[in-house]
Amino acid sequence: MRLREPYVRSGASIAPLLTKELREIAAGRALWTMLLLVCPLVGYSFAEAVSLYSESSSAALQSSVLAKSLSPLDGVLVPTFGSFYVAVTLLFPFVAIRVLGQEKESGALSLLVQLPYRYATLVSAKLCAVLAAWCLVSIPALSALVIWTMLGGHLAAIETLNLVLGHMLYGLLVGAVGLFAAIISDSSSTAAIIALAVTIGSWVLDFTLAGRSGVLAWIAQLSLTQTLRPFEQGLLSAGLSLGTATVICGLATLTIVWLPPGISLRVKLVRSLSCLFAVAIALGIAAQVRNVVDVSEDRRNSFSSADERLLAGLRLPLTISVNLVPEDPRYIDLRRNVLSKLERAMPNVTVVLVNGRQAVASPSDAYGQIEYTYGNRNDVSRSTSPREILPLLYALAGVQPPAPGSSDEYPGYPLVVNAEAVFLWFFAGLPLLIALAWWWVRRLPSVKPFVLHEGAKP
Amino acid sequence: MIERGDSTSLLTVQNLTKRFGSEATAIDRVAFSAVAGEILGVIGPNGAGKTTLLEAIAGLLPVDAGEILWCGEPLGLTRRRDAMFYLPDAMRPYRDQSAWQVLSFVASVFRRSDREIGETVAVLGLEPVLRKRVQALSKGYARRLMLALGLLAPHRLLLMDEPFDGFDLRQTRDIVGVLRNETARGRTLILSIHQLADAERVCDRFILLSAGRVRGIGGLAELRAETGLRGGSLEELFLALT
Repeated sequence: MRLREPYVRSGASIAPLLTKELREIAAGRALWTMLLLVCPLVGYSFAEAVSLYSESSSAALQSSVLAKSLSPLDGVLVPTFGSFYVAVTLLFPFVAIRVLGQEKESGALSLLVQLPYRYATLVSAKLCAVLAAWCLVSIPALSALVIWTMLGGHLAAIETLNLVLGHMLYGLLVGAVGLFAAIISDSSSTAAIIALAVTIGSWVLDFTLAGRSGVLAWIAQLSLTQTLRPFEQGLLSAGLSLGTATVICGLATLTIVWLPPGISLRVKLVRSLSCLFAVAIALGIAAQVRNVVDVSEDRRNSFSSADERLLAGLRLPLTISVNLVPEDPRYIDLRRNVLSKLERAMPNVTVVLVNGRQAVASPSDAYGQIEYTYGNRNDVSRSTSPREILPLLYALAGVQPPAPGSSDEYPGYPLVVNAEAVFLWFFAGLPLLIALAWWWVRRLPSVKPFVLHEGAKP
Repeated sequence: MIERGDSTSLLTVQNLTKRFGSEATAIDRVAFSAVAGEILGVIGPNGAGKTTLLEAIAGLLPVDAGEILWCGEPLGLTRRRDAMFYLPDAMRPYRDQSAWQVLSFVASVFRRSDREIGETVAVLGLEPVLRKRVQALSKGYARRLMLALGLLAPHRLLLMDEPFDGFDLRQTRDIVGVLRNETARGRTLILSIHQLADAERVCDRFILLSAGRVRGIGGLAELRAETGLRGGSLEELFLALT
């Protein structure tokens, strides 16, 4: 009976596989080249951002009102990580593709798939290597945060971590696109074309379709760049994070489907379609998760704490009928200043866009009106400011507006500082350290003495 | 020509067919069996379908028809890699790593002991190049490294594509000795070889493959009887049958 059994897998340890993947990605030039290119890119953006922030701070030091508008998140962090985002969009696909493309081109993939690992384990290990690579290439951006603190700048821990989390998710998303492109392509160059078509394409999609409505707005939502927006605004969206994680898992699953070379194309296509169907369902579920936390220190995405407490107590449905087209600047203002805040603060809010387009075609007095219906009472306003809309809502609900308080007022963090010295770090110090690390990583390890001893035998 | 799978065979290949596109048939209804402990040579010129056949058996290439049996029972695609290990031709895996790193990776995956790694290094004479990067290895050492990976794999059946390519006569004889030791330990080897002299030296039985079809199966004596060429070399037998 034992003879009939093939060699039975004893459950290989994941450690050698992970070590191999990390060694492989560290051995490639793509990672280190990207790291070296990110240094000046991030350094220049950081220095420019600090310089502009300092200029704005000069005036703000004299006025507490002006100081309140100075947030390091907007002034320094987002621009600095913005350049990192560009680098990840354009260069990170090459790093991710190498994780799989190199093995595919050299034929080592046919060895790898014969090892006693599940295909899911193989792809997970590669995704871990991509994550490790992202952590490495984010060193220049993270070092900018350290320098900012050393210069005396303020960092709010939660909003900073939230921003880093957003970029990490985006990096993983780009990495997963790279892995999938590598597995479906015959060569790394084809994979690079596919991956860049997705990343740059979605970038273009994002700014060409910005502010459009209808189908175009829906298409714009598919852009990978959309992943970052809420994080840059200090929002932690459970639905978006879940959706992004779903897409990453979906791409990883597609990579698993396409990994085994012995499966026919037809079977792979059928499995891919099933996977896409499952991802679509999961995305639909994620879209229903509306939990969003405002983690910005200045609470820019929320009303005052007193207002939020009062609004949370208004349990009846609130219907807001907006007679504007979505691309109207007034609607954009209303959405940013009022609607999105209300949707988070109140338990039951419905926003309806009514007849906006017809009203533009044949203008009438109704265009621009916003009708608020709470329970069986309603009122109309044209304002997009919460200062006017909140009292209107309180009146509809029959509650007293909260007393104005200053307990949660954001002080602002003006800082006048000369950041020219940072060029030395980003253009010389850090690249030198990276070059040294590259040299150190490429050293070949010594061989265990017993092997040489055994090897010396005739 | 077609052998039927029976319970004494370790591996039985039945009517394996692989087409590339609608017309090009790489292997056509190939059928044979491999007995435990033998060295079976798949012989044929370049383009005969040897590599395609080995990859199809190993489950690394989708096939259009055919079945693989293990000890007389169907061996599905997912269990194929539990039964056999395939060493491709002319491959240098993980070029930026040292030979030692590649060896120790595969050895750790298969939970090989330090002693076993040492023995493999010794028997294949890899010791001088262990610290060299794979991309810097000569063709012969790259081939030895691949063989070492195969020897470290615990599978009962090894499929090797052109295992003697890149070796001179003396080295080939050494490697033949290594492979003979492996079969003495109970391993079965299926080798694809285009050099008939090498094949004649190492294989117990032969599958003569030409244009994707099996033209003859058996040991030298059986093939001689089939062709009527007494004392004929493998080369003469191959020419007579194809």
